[in-house]
Amino acid sequence: MSRFDRQSFLGPDSESRLREATLGLVGLGGGGSHIVQQTGHLGVGGFIVVDPDHLTDTNTNRLIGGTLADLPLATSKVTIAERLLRGLVEDPRVIKRVDTWHNVTAELKLCDIIVGAVDSFNEREQLERFARRHLIPYIDIGMDVHELGNKQYLIGGQVILSMPGCPCLRCCGLITDESLEEEAGRYGAAGGRPQVVWPNGVLASTAVGLIVQLLTPWFKDSPEFVYLDYDGNRGTVTPNDRMKLLRHKVCPHHPARETGDPLFDVRDFNRLRFAKLQPTDELAARPPLANSWRTRWVAIARRLGLTR
Amino acid sequence: MTTRFKITRRLLRAIRQDLERPHPFAYERVGFLSAGLSSTDSNLLVLAREYRPVADDDYLHDSSVGAMMGPEAIRKALQWAMAERVAIFHVHAHHGRGQPGFSGVDLREQAKFVPNFFQIAPQWPHGALVLSDDSCFGHIWLDGSKPGDAITGFVEVGAPLATWSAA
Repeated sequence: MSRFDRQSFLGPDSESRLREATLGLVGLGGGGSHIVQQTGHLGVGGFIVVDPDHLTDTNTNRLIGGTLADLPLATSKVTIAERLLRGLVEDPRVIKRVDTWHNVTAELKLCDIIVGAVDSFNEREQLERFARRHLIPYIDIGMDVHELGNKQYLIGGQVILSMPGCPCLRCCGLITDESLEEEAGRYGAAGGRPQVVWPNGVLASTAVGLIVQLLTPWFKDSPEFVYLDYDGNRGTVTPNDRMKLLRHKVCPHHPARETGDPLFDVRDFNRLRFAKLQPTDELAARPPLANSWRTRWVAIARRLGLTR
Repeated sequence: MTTRFKITRRLLRAIRQDLERPHPFAYERVGFLSAGLSSTDSNLLVLAREYRPVADDDYLHDSSVGAMMGPEAIRKALQWAMAERVAIFHVHAHHGRGQPGFSGVDLREQAKFVPNFFQIAPQWPHGALVLSDDSCFGHIWLDGSKPGDAITGFVEVGAPLATWSAA
């Protein structure tokens, strides 16, 4: 009996598919930390976890796995994620980076799926563009609390599956030139935005559902483009109208001709590859190692009087 | 070194559909696929971009093979590689399920035309793919002087993701 017996309906080889998969998780705050925990429970085997921050007291209302004991240690969010994963997954393949994702692109480009739980539109757009360039499905989650006046608040959010070739965050209207300009205009002035644990949990769980649909064949007609709205006041997750309208649309913002690294040159790749195969100067300067069989043969031959 | 070839399900379906079309006289169809490249250490990612079928008039009459491309087909593919600075892969299909393989004729013809791409687009690798109904196999040349290596893994990007190893 496997500990994954209760999820065997995901497919006969779902355990190995999840085990072999590698997720890139960018942003390990309120949303990302839920995803770490749930994908660890599912048995996903590989993780690239990226976040430049450490746990602070204002994170402890929602960061899954973070404890009050981490505060005086200023434990990094990726360390908390790794601790969670090592408690849930046998021999997980974890690469953790206390850094911005821009410095982790070599690792991220080999991921099967990238999940972004980042704060800014600018960051979202760049991360999605990177994922598209490498034909990696990108899942975006985000929540916000809006003040309605009269001490009333609206909790909202979205989960979007941005599949290469299919509608993107711009097609969805989530990212616009205006939203980027507005965000740039208040750069440095933004304080901590309201965040609470349960909407993050709903959004992250919905994203984990999409991850499972991408990795296992349990749901035959799973859509390639997903845009779901969360209404925290009503407690509903519903398909956005654009999900149906844009279903067959080819994204004009990330054309197929943009895949790959525009500066790639196979001659450089070959040079680097062969340089690794050649001995370094230090190694080349050493005398060749004695052939142990030759040494033994000479010793035996001398003993037998065959040579001097 | 590992080489992972990635292609969207939409594009792969479109290629399979195109290769299914009957030709006026050839037994099968062929085409070319462009790709972008990315790498990390010794890992190479080949990222499919666009497919272009060989035009009906660019086939030669040759009953000894399924399809024989004429010089005009090769010239157009070379032009594409040069003008858009892309990696080019020749594509054709063998029916059936499971991992396909190249025939002796395929290998002989690849050895003739793939090195030509390095004359005009040496900064990109080039190669050839053969599709079955549910899988794929391919060779990639990293320079024009050596025979191609087998592509080690394929990813069909869709929901769900499909992956298979080929070497």
